[in-house]
Amino acid sequence: MEVTADYALPCGRDVEQVWEAIEVADEHTRRCPHCSAVRESLLVLRAATEEMARDRVEPPSDLVSRVMSAVRADARRGEVLPLPSAGADPARISTQAIAAVLRFAADGVDGVRARGCRVREAVESSESDPVIEVELGIAIVAGHTSAQTFDVVRERVIAAATARIGVRLARLDLVVSDVLEG
Amino acid sequence: MSVEAAAALDDATLVARSRDGDMRAYELLVRRYQGQMYRLALRVVGSAGDAEDVVQDVFLTAWRRLGQLKDDGAFVGWLYRTATNRCLNVLRQRRPVADVELDEQPSAAPRERPDRAVEVSAQMDALAVALRGLTPEQRACWVLREVHGRSYDEIAEAIGTTQQAVRGRLARARAQLAEVMAPWR
Repeated sequence: MEVTADYALPCGRDVEQVWEAIEVADEHTRRCPHCSAVRESLLVLRAATEEMARDRVEPPSDLVSRVMSAVRADARRGEVLPLPSAGADPARISTQAIAAVLRFAADGVDGVRARGCRVREAVESSESDPVIEVELGIAIVAGHTSAQTFDVVRERVIAAATARIGVRLARLDLVVSDVLEG
Repeated sequence: MSVEAAAALDDATLVARSRDGDMRAYELLVRRYQGQMYRLALRVVGSAGDAEDVVQDVFLTAWRRLGQLKDDGAFVGWLYRTATNRCLNVLRQRRPVADVELDEQPSAAPRERPDRAVEVSAQMDALAVALRGLTPEQRACWVLREVHGRSYDEIAEAIGTTQQAVRGRLARARAQLAEVMAPWR
C-alpha cells in the first residue's frame, strides 16, 4: 500500500503535492518510486473522472411527467409554507389550512363572522422561523363595530397562528366586508 | 412562441414566469436540469431509485420556494444546493451500506474508440464502485467538484461547511480513489 492513513508518502511528500504537479513530473517524482506510483494512479483516476464527467446516463423518460404531476397536485392544494421542525425533513402546511384555523379563531369573537382569509408567506420568513401576512375579511353584526371588537379579533387570530399552527403573524389587515343586521 | 423559442429562454425568464404559476415555463426548467440533477444524485446516493426520488423532491421543493429565490439567474446553483442536501439526508437515513442493494449502472454514452471501450469502461465502473468507499460528504464534494465542475464556494455552501474543509475532503477523497485505481496503472 503506497498511501498511508494520512496520505503522506515514505519519501516525505504527500498525495496532494503529487496531484498539484501532475502535469509535469519533477526530478524527484521521476526518481521516487512512491511518487511515481502515486502519479500513475492519479493519472488513471483523472482519465476515469473525465470519462465520468462526459457520461450522459439519462433519467427514466417518464421522470419529467412524474415531477410535473407532483407539481400540479401541489399547485392545486394551494401555496404551502414551512413549519418549524426538529427533524431533517421539512414539514409544511398549506395556506388554506392556516386560513381555516384563523377564520375559526375570528368566528369565536362575539358578533364576528370571518369571510375571506388570504395568507401569504412574509419576505423575512424562513424554515426555522416561518412568518405570515394575513388579510382577513370579516362581517360584523351591527352594534359590534367598535375598536374593542377589532382588538379582540386581532388578539385571537395572532394567538391562534402562534399557538395552534406555530407560525408568526407579522401583519394582519382586517377588512370589514359587511355589516349584518343583529 | 414556438417550442424552440421557448426552450431558448434563459433561466431568469423561466423562473420569473414559473413564479407567476406558469407550468409550461417550469416544465422547461425541469427538462433543462433533470439530467444534471439525476447524474449528481446517482453518483452520490448510488442507486437509481433513490436518485429519481431526489430529483422529484428537488424540483417540487424548488417549485414551492420560487418565491424565496432572490436572484432568478441563480436557479441552477440553488438546485445543486437542494439536491446535495437531499442526497446527504437520504444517506443519513439509510441503514449501513452493506444492507443496501446498489444498482449497477451501465454507461449509456457511446464510445469514441471501440477498441478501448472495454478497458476504459471498466476503469469508470471501478471508479463508480470506489466512490462508495468514501464518506457521504467526501463523495458529495468530489462529485460536485470533479464531475460537475462546481466552485469551492458553492460546494462549501451546499455541504454547510468552509472552503478549507471542502479542499481537505477533496484531498482525502482523491488519495483514497487513487489508491483504489492503482491496479489499472
